[in-house]
Amino acid sequence: MSESRLGTVLGYLAGFALLFLVWHLAATWLVRSALFPGPLPVLERAWALIEDDILQEQVLASLRRILQGFLIGSAVGIPVGLAIGSFRPVRALLEPWTEFFRFIPAVAMITVSVIWFGIGEESKVFLIAYTTVFVVIIATAAGVGAVARDKIRAAQCLGASRLQIFALVALPATVPYILTGMRLAMANAFVTIVAAELVASNDGLGKMLWDARLFMQIEDIFVALLALGLLGFTTDRLFRLAIRAFAGRFNPTM
Amino acid sequence: MGGRGLALVALDQVGKTYAGRGGAWEAVRSFTLDLQEGEFFCLLGTSGCGKTTLLNMLAGFERPTAGRILLDGASVSGPGADRGVVFQGHDSLFDWLTALDNIGFGLRLRGMGRRERREKAGHFLKLVGLSGQEGKHPSELSGGMKQRIQIARALAADPRILLMDEPFGALDALTRATLQGELSRIWKETGKTVFFITHDIEEACALATRIGVMTRGPGGTLKAVIPVDPPFPRDRTSDGFMAVFRQVHALIHAELAA
Ligand SMILES: Nc1ncnc2c1ncn2[C@@H]1O[C@H](COP(=O)(O)OP(=O)(O)OP(=O)(O)O)[C@@H](O)[C@H]1O
Ligand SMILES: [Mg+2]
Repeated sequence: MSESRLGTVLGYLAGFALLFLVWHLAATWLVRSALFPGPLPVLERAWALIEDDILQEQVLASLRRILQGFLIGSAVGIPVGLAIGSFRPVRALLEPWTEFFRFIPAVAMITVSVIWFGIGEESKVFLIAYTTVFVVIIATAAGVGAVARDKIRAAQCLGASRLQIFALVALPATVPYILTGMRLAMANAFVTIVAAELVASNDGLGKMLWDARLFMQIEDIFVALLALGLLGFTTDRLFRLAIRAFAGRFNPTM
Repeated sequence: MGGRGLALVALDQVGKTYAGRGGAWEAVRSFTLDLQEGEFFCLLGTSGCGKTTLLNMLAGFERPTAGRILLDGASVSGPGADRGVVFQGHDSLFDWLTALDNIGFGLRLRGMGRRERREKAGHFLKLVGLSGQEGKHPSELSGGMKQRIQIARALAADPRILLMDEPFGALDALTRATLQGELSRIWKETGKTVFFITHDIEEACALATRIGVMTRGPGGTLKAVIPVDPPFPRDRTSDGFMAVFRQVHALIHAELAA
């Protein structure tokens, strides 16, 4: 187990090394343009930005918004998804909502959000919560629907009340679905935060991208892109680990 | 009360007709049977004759469309802790709980304290031969172990009757034979009444005190009930065993040919 984990880590390191190598080769042999810097000047610039505390600030600004919106979205989405999955009338009532809003991407909501909440924190947090909530609702409701009938029947034969079946069977059986929904939502949140900060913000990685474009600081653009990719990769792996940690106890097929 | 007063379970002219999309389908017709306290009843029948349907009605998962089912003289109207069920697949186990907590689940529902519950669940864990596996989750257990847990979980809730639907059907021949032996021993030790569904004639002959053979579906019903007398533990090569086997075999194959 730890051996295969070590293998995965080594594989990842090799994969990233290869990515940087390809990037380096492309920049020095293929493109050879000031508009496409190689990894070395970009890393150099990143180090300078870190030393000046600038990169950390932008990363933290974006992460804070993502986390706040993500938590709000999940806190609303999980109970609503459970209710939709558990009660037919609730499903009938709320399915039009979820199926309607899920086709309006958060990016399309940026303008209204800025009009409603201004360019401060609220608009960004709202957008992240918006992009999170429907994914989590749908995944959670699907999870409740997928609880094996025999599990519920087994609990009934052991004397479980409806409330006990919900709390002790349906809910834990749904946890892997909830986590998977949150993982998807987190990926969406990264997309959304950049778009939102590009349009209206005083800081964050999206704002950094925007400013760098204005002043033609091409290295800064690449630093921001690199930071986004690494942050997304790291959070997604963490989620995968969490899901896996449960996988042995929950659904081994997840 | 009448002559049936002593039966633990009484199935009286029980029938089940499903209202399916392709029209009504009569799965079980006019099934009448008394189960006595402490007996091991095996129900044999060809595939699709209505065995599972019958068990689902006994367990209270489905309602009969004709006749009635009495348990201790009271009509069965839904599932309850007085009837323990061992399911054919492994879906019914709680994947997020350890073996021990799966077994203790019914006790937890009753509000039994953690200490007492673990102690009691541990007793049933040992009874089904799983000592040392208490901390494992279902995904870490073999198919045979999972069925042992199902049996222990059902027994720990102390039901009046144990309902089993082909519990060993998916196991390899060796594991199946082992579990048959264990189940027989557990039945002796606990004195539980068992209602056991199977396809396997030899399995029925090895375990049952009575074997019921069903007619072919649709509208499956009880064709014959054969008492199985050879003493336990049964010698599968003895003349007595062979005689019962031949008798049941003839009944089943008459249905297959019909
Ligand atoms: N929910 C249902 N709706 C419609 N028909 C059903 C339903 N459940 C079972 N049947 C039908 O009733 C008949 C009996 O099914 P049942 O599952 O009881 O058979 P069985 O004897 O358990 O078969 P097997 O040995 O293969 O498990 C079958 O023809 C089946 O198609
Ligand atoms: Mg069946």
